[in-house]
Amino acid sequence: MNDDKERAELLAALHAAGAASEEDEKELQALLEADPTLERVVREFQDSIAALASSFEPLETSPKTLGQIQKQIAREKGGLLSRLRSWFSRH
Amino acid sequence: MTEARPTDPADLVAAMAAGDSGAPLSAFYAQYASTVLALLMKMLGSRAEAEEILQEVFVELWRRAPQYDSSRGSVVAWVVTVARSRALDAIRARTRRYGDGQQQFFSDRHGLGTDSGRPDVLVSSTRWHQALRQAFKRLSEDQRAVLELSYFLGMSHGQIAEALNLPVGTVKSRILAGMRALRTMLPIIHRSMRV
Repeated sequence: MNDDKERAELLAALHAAGAASEEDEKELQALLEADPTLERVVREFQDSIAALASSFEPLETSPKTLGQIQKQIAREKGGLLSRLRSWFSRH
Repeated sequence: MTEARPTDPADLVAAMAAGDSGAPLSAFYAQYASTVLALLMKMLGSRAEAEEILQEVFVELWRRAPQYDSSRGSVVAWVVTVARSRALDAIRARTRRYGDGQQQFFSDRHGLGTDSGRPDVLVSSTRWHQALRQAFKRLSEDQRAVLELSYFLGMSHGQIAEALNLPVGTVKSRILAGMRALRTMLPIIHRSMRV
């Protein structure tokens, strides 16, 4: 593997692992713009670490939690939340 | 004839993005809540705090559903990223209040690849969880240590180097080697994500 590819892979790994510095992130973004195929490497690393994070023994949740989530969403619907969702959908 | 309900995670997210907080959100919650709670427990160590953050995570996922882009990552990666981010916020807030004891706390109680034996662990822990944990045991201890500190405690490579008294280059090499090792497990991982 040449040095550039090795460097790009290192930056992708640091990014996915959450260990990248601000400078690393900027360098990775620049590389991604120059070479969109690097996106696949980033995605593979992200999927891998996400699987690691989801591999713990699942825990039973409180029966009340879903209801509380739905109540909170219902309260927010039509207010500030709808504006936020509209903003997110545009960006 | 009744209309089929979407069960594919991406379809559920699309329905949530359209503003449906009913059945699609319930199905989405049923699919991911126990996994997210387990991650939050591992990171936070407190059931009460994990339950509180779990609620915030799912509200945030619902809010951010219009932003989800399947070309940029799987649904589970998106869910885990949001959950991790919320947990790290809580850890940082706790560190500001009580000082920095989190690293030892995590290492002592929540090493990867260990079974908790907790009474609230779902008896129906799926085979893919077990398969994944077995796969992750293939990481070396050095690789696991740096990935735990970076991913689960949000430490940069510089902070990890300082904490472990290692050169920064060594930390980066271990992170890259660990991520490459994880990537070789992608066939198992992809099977798990289809569940």
